Amino acid sequence: MFQNTKCECGHQNPVGTVLCEACGKPLLEETAQSNEVLEMRYDGMARRSQRSNPNIIDRIWNFFSSVKIAVYMIVLTLVGSMLGTIYPQESTFLNIDPSVYYKETYGQLGHIYYLLGLSHTYESWWFILLLVMIGASLVICSLDRVLPLYKALNKQRIRKHLQFLTRQRLVYQGSIEEAPEEWIKKAVTPLRKKGYRVHTQGDALLAEKQRFSRWGPYVIHIGLIIFLLAVLARGLPGLNLDEHVAFPEGEIKKIPNTSMYLKNEKFNVEFYSDDEVPEQFKNLNKTVPKLFETKVVLYECTADCSDLSKKPQLAEVARHDVRVNQPLNYQGLKAYQFDYDLTPTIRSVTPDLVNVKTGEVYGSLKIDMMDTQRTFKAGPYTLTVKEKFMDFALDDKGEPKSKSPSPNAPAFLFHIKGPDLPEKGIQYLYFAKQIDKQRFQQDAINRQLVGGELPLQLEVDSMDKVDLIQSVSYLNIRVDKAMPFVWVGAGIVMLGLVMGFYWHHRRIWIRFDDERITLGGHTNKNWFGFRREVAGILKQMNLEVDEKSLDNGGNQA
Amino acid sequence: MGKSRRTVQIVILCLILVLGGYAITTSVSGSNGKPKEGDRAPSFELLGLDGQVHTSDEYQGKAMVINFWGTWCEPCVKEMPALQAQADKWKDKGVQFVGINVGEDQMTVDNFVRQVGVTFPIMLDRDKNSVRDYGISPMPTTFFVSETGKISTIHIGQLDLDTLDAQISQLAKQP
Repeated sequence: MFQNTKCECGHQNPVGTVLCEACGKPLLEETAQSNEVLEMRYDGMARRSQRSNPNIIDRIWNFFSSVKIAVYMIVLTLVGSMLGTIYPQESTFLNIDPSVYYKETYGQLGHIYYLLGLSHTYESWWFILLLVMIGASLVICSLDRVLPLYKALNKQRIRKHLQFLTRQRLVYQGSIEEAPEEWIKKAVTPLRKKGYRVHTQGDALLAEKQRFSRWGPYVIHIGLIIFLLAVLARGLPGLNLDEHVAFPEGEIKKIPNTSMYLKNEKFNVEFYSDDEVPEQFKNLNKTVPKLFETKVVLYECTADCSDLSKKPQLAEVARHDVRVNQPLNYQGLKAYQFDYDLTPTIRSVTPDLVNVKTGEVYGSLKIDMMDTQRTFKAGPYTLTVKEKFMDFALDDKGEPKSKSPSPNAPAFLFHIKGPDLPEKGIQYLYFAKQIDKQRFQQDAINRQLVGGELPLQLEVDSMDKVDLIQSVSYLNIRVDKAMPFVWVGAGIVMLGLVMGFYWHHRRIWIRFDDERITLGGHTNKNWFGFRREVAGILKQMNLEVDEKSLDNGGNQA
Repeated sequence: MGKSRRTVQIVILCLILVLGGYAITTSVSGSNGKPKEGDRAPSFELLGLDGQVHTSDEYQGKAMVINFWGTWCEPCVKEMPALQAQADKWKDKGVQFVGINVGEDQMTVDNFVRQVGVTFPIMLDRDKNSVRDYGISPMPTTFFVSETGKISTIHIGQLDLDTLDAQISQLAKQP
């Protein structure tokens, strides 16, 4: 349909314009005839992308440009977010198989929940798609509206069409006996006093204040876009990390996916004593920890980091006592106390090689459980580790084996060579734990291996010779480098909200037609305050006006 | 005025498409990280028993049988001779066998490998990085990877010589 968009003032307007860009005359046939209050949205400008014959790109653009569509998308996202809160999300568990967990814990409904993919709502493609579409809508909606609005407000004609004034929500008409130019000149002072910027042109006047509050919504949109982009950026490698790592006391361990290493120097736990615990807890027969803390040292790898065949070179960068709510924080890498395990495990033993008959001590050997040294020297004797079993047991054929990789019952089979021993040397089985020596009858086995009385023995004379890992501390390692941007985005949103809420854009147009003065006023909120302000200004100009009589009806902003 | 505006529109729509596509693919592919049959086999970089660092790139273009095992795990120990036999059989037919030991030290693995007579490459995964990447929970787990680097089958539990042979024949036939 061909639509004439040329105004009678001679200005050529784009398709979709409601009020002439220059003089403000209503352009559409049906609105031009009526006397209703004008729709002042975007000052009657056409949205940027409106075209008479849209092609495919215009159609996509217009889809995202529509506020109605944006509202639907926001509602859908809200509904989706709500669905995601019915049962706990998969990501809140450390070690579950979701295909059975939901059925076992929440029954058939839980299983359906899992099958629908709602157990990972916030990572699902449709949820992300909605967020992306909202992001697109934010950008396109803003662009389509802010540019025309900026243009409209930046180049305002002072003398507007009479209909534009009389169809504002605030209107005053009357007769003035003074010369119009004189009256306009006098009106400038009281308006300026109220904070208006005043522009005059002969017998017409435009007064305006706090235009910047119109940009509030768009500032909010910019903040939201930064927010969304920051959330999106968390998926980039290195920007986000959330791992639960076990740190045995006294060991340096690599933090996965980083070049950082962390050492748990000491783990402490204090429990509430019986008289400190309330009655309810006493009956549960549970010990309640008062404090648990891990003294940690953080290292950064400086060289040989990625070469697995070399030992990485580490430099200490931070030291902290990690407690609940007091994480280690080093350049955004945070370590939170998460859990602990007080089961001691053996790290190494340092037994002496002793002559059984004379009691002579030849020397001691430090046997590590992991990365055990292969050969040891003790006096004139050479000991070689032939086999080691971390969790000693015998299989169905009576052969020794290890039933797990943890050092629960560590045993070492040595081959010993030296003076007073047979040419080939002897075999010697050594259990690191005293309890296992008895349980597996170490002496009897060894007598069998030697074929007689034992000439030598490995002995531990005190507990100092046994190095234990007293506990394991579990830390939650987190990196979230996108977080500052999330805060910046949120801050900008807040700024936009303040701009839009606490200031109002007010405009007053005045024109004379002979002695007849017409005043039109527009604001985006607080009409009551605006009417009072206008009535006050008119009073200073010796025009007594009742505030309420200024109201032209209508409720369009 | 239309032309520059059109370019702006196209640029913005393209940006949204790229960012959105990126967001959706990363969220879908990275949701639980456990590779499934048909996915690309994760790459690895591990210290071999020979003291050299080996990466999955070395075996590019070859079909692979990747076996996760431990000396303390009985079924792993039991299936090892069958794996070795198959490794010998397929050695010259472009099928590479790799054994990844989970979390044990050099001496333990060395002793075991010598006793059983394993000759195909064995890697040590002390920090359990590959265990994490491959999403291993029970052992043994064996991945059959095609020449194109796609996981064709994941076998959890002990393998026997016959099924192993059948599976590898299938793997070798695949383009």
